[in-house]
Amino acid sequence: MDHKRITFLLALIWAVVAVLPLFFGGTNFIMHILIMCLIWSVVASCWDLIMGFAGIFSFGQVAFFVTGSYASAIISAQFGIPPIFAVFIAGGITAAIGILVGLPCLKLKGAYIALVTFAVHMILEPVLKGDIGRALGTGGSRGLLTIEPMHIFGYTFTTASPVPYFYLMLLVAVICSAIILVVIRSHWGTAFLALKDSQEFATCLGVSAFKYKLMVFALTSFLTGMMGGFYAHYVGMLSTRMLGIDLFVTLMVILVIGGVGKFPGAVIGAFITIAANELLSPLGPYRPITMGALVVILVLLLPDGVVGLFERLFSRKQHGITH
Amino acid sequence: MVIEIADVIISGLINGSVYALMAVGLTLIYGVSKAFNFAYGSFYSLGGYIAFLLFSLSFINNYFVVFLLAVPILLVFGYFVEKALVAPLRKRDDWEIKVMMITLGLALFLDNSFQVIFGSRMKSLPPFLEGGFEAGDFYLSHQDVGIFFLSIGGILLFRWFLNNTRTGMSVRAVAQNPAGAQIVGIPKEFVFAATFAISTVMVGMGGILLAQKYFITPMGGWDILVKAWVITAFGGMGSIKGGLYAAFIVGMLEAFVGWYFGMTWTLIVLFAVLLTTLAVRPQGLLGKWG
Repeated sequence: MDHKRITFLLALIWAVVAVLPLFFGGTNFIMHILIMCLIWSVVASCWDLIMGFAGIFSFGQVAFFVTGSYASAIISAQFGIPPIFAVFIAGGITAAIGILVGLPCLKLKGAYIALVTFAVHMILEPVLKGDIGRALGTGGSRGLLTIEPMHIFGYTFTTASPVPYFYLMLLVAVICSAIILVVIRSHWGTAFLALKDSQEFATCLGVSAFKYKLMVFALTSFLTGMMGGFYAHYVGMLSTRMLGIDLFVTLMVILVIGGVGKFPGAVIGAFITIAANELLSPLGPYRPITMGALVVILVLLLPDGVVGLFERLFSRKQHGITH
Repeated sequence: MVIEIADVIISGLINGSVYALMAVGLTLIYGVSKAFNFAYGSFYSLGGYIAFLLFSLSFINNYFVVFLLAVPILLVFGYFVEKALVAPLRKRDDWEIKVMMITLGLALFLDNSFQVIFGSRMKSLPPFLEGGFEAGDFYLSHQDVGIFFLSIGGILLFRWFLNNTRTGMSVRAVAQNPAGAQIVGIPKEFVFAATFAISTVMVGMGGILLAQKYFITPMGGWDILVKAWVITAFGGMGSIKGGLYAAFIVGMLEAFVGWYFGMTWTLIVLFAVLLTTLAVRPQGLLGKWG
């Protein structure tokens, strides 16, 4: 897909999402789901950027998200920093951790990177629950139950009236997707393409794999950590249950449905997946089974996701015209 | 003190031997087909549950029959999973990540199916040998000895298979050079499916062996996946000998750290060791790039 079409598609998506509160604004439950859709669309887009575009098999996305959410909650509680600033500090902290994780990964390949990043995910739970976490103020296995709600200029966002927070999240999501778009369009994006096609050749031409890969680690973990902060101050409580396999798989389903490396796909995928997840909730224990089966079927039948499907339909049409 | 240390060493050796069996399976798939199987842990639970189901049948009461029935079931299951899910993806450029995704979906499907079918309560298998050796305070159960020798036996059998059978030799050929193997007429697709099936059997066996000491739970496989993964990366992905050494090192490390610092530290120490190893030797102990 060319950049113009990506921009157009993104603008269309955000325009449609922006008018949704007109229809659902009265139902808090649906607004809550929409806010989650917005948060996950950014997190999934970041994952897409690092995995689909940069070709780094990072599996630490949920870990970065949880790190950011805990960091923001702890900073605002212990240092009295207003949540709106704490969120960005949390992003900075997560970015620092992202760089630390990224450094050893740059020497590694494929499945090894997946292991090291997934290891961060696996370690995070005992760390947050254990003595180290408790010393930092994570509340151990009980988690954090009272997190300051987000407030700007004396206005406090509450879960009781989610529409304002929805628009705040929409603004954040628009800015984040614009940043991702700029990154893909700039020479970063081209450098990633070159590195993915042939790392040796790209390095010979003077593209620094080290610099670009570290930068993408820093950027995606910053944005993910920041979204974690926004999530924490919205939901108001945190526990290590987020590190369970459910959330990880949900995020993966988003990418599968949207298409890996098909940028606005992750955004579309987030809305479809989170909505489907809620629709499937009457299935109870059968829901995760259905989700699992869905992943298997979708990877086989729709390997490039929704966006890939559109592309295929579109290119077929074009094909017909040219002949 | 001496007795305690001896106990720790024995538990490290026994866990290490079963880990070796499972890690060899994981490293085998990676070495031959460069595919990473996220559902590996679920296959571990599957092995345990198959044994549990077989034992619940009234006419089955010994492990010999269970192994005799479980091995073909796992073999066929693994073969079909590869043929149906992994093989169709191989044509694509980005098949590595697609394989990770599809096996993750499969893992979710299997784990939650176990949860629905068997409930989330722990299931246990009867010990396959009773009694033990006793010398003063020192006690070594026959079961532990049996598990150790069965795992080692499994690995040796696998080694014999690789070195002495036609299929084993074609597996090695494909691992060395897939294109070359295909040129000389080795059915590559069949070898991929066969290695997947064999690795399923190995991890399933591991499940049956360890389920006697620990328990079978629907989500218990994740721990095993991570351990097998750490061991294969530590030893070098694709290197069977490296996997063997790494399995015993990890088994010992786990036993000693668990005994000295407490169980919560084992995972942290394990990853610290892994990261240090990978920082110095990115390809693992005995691994090769490529």
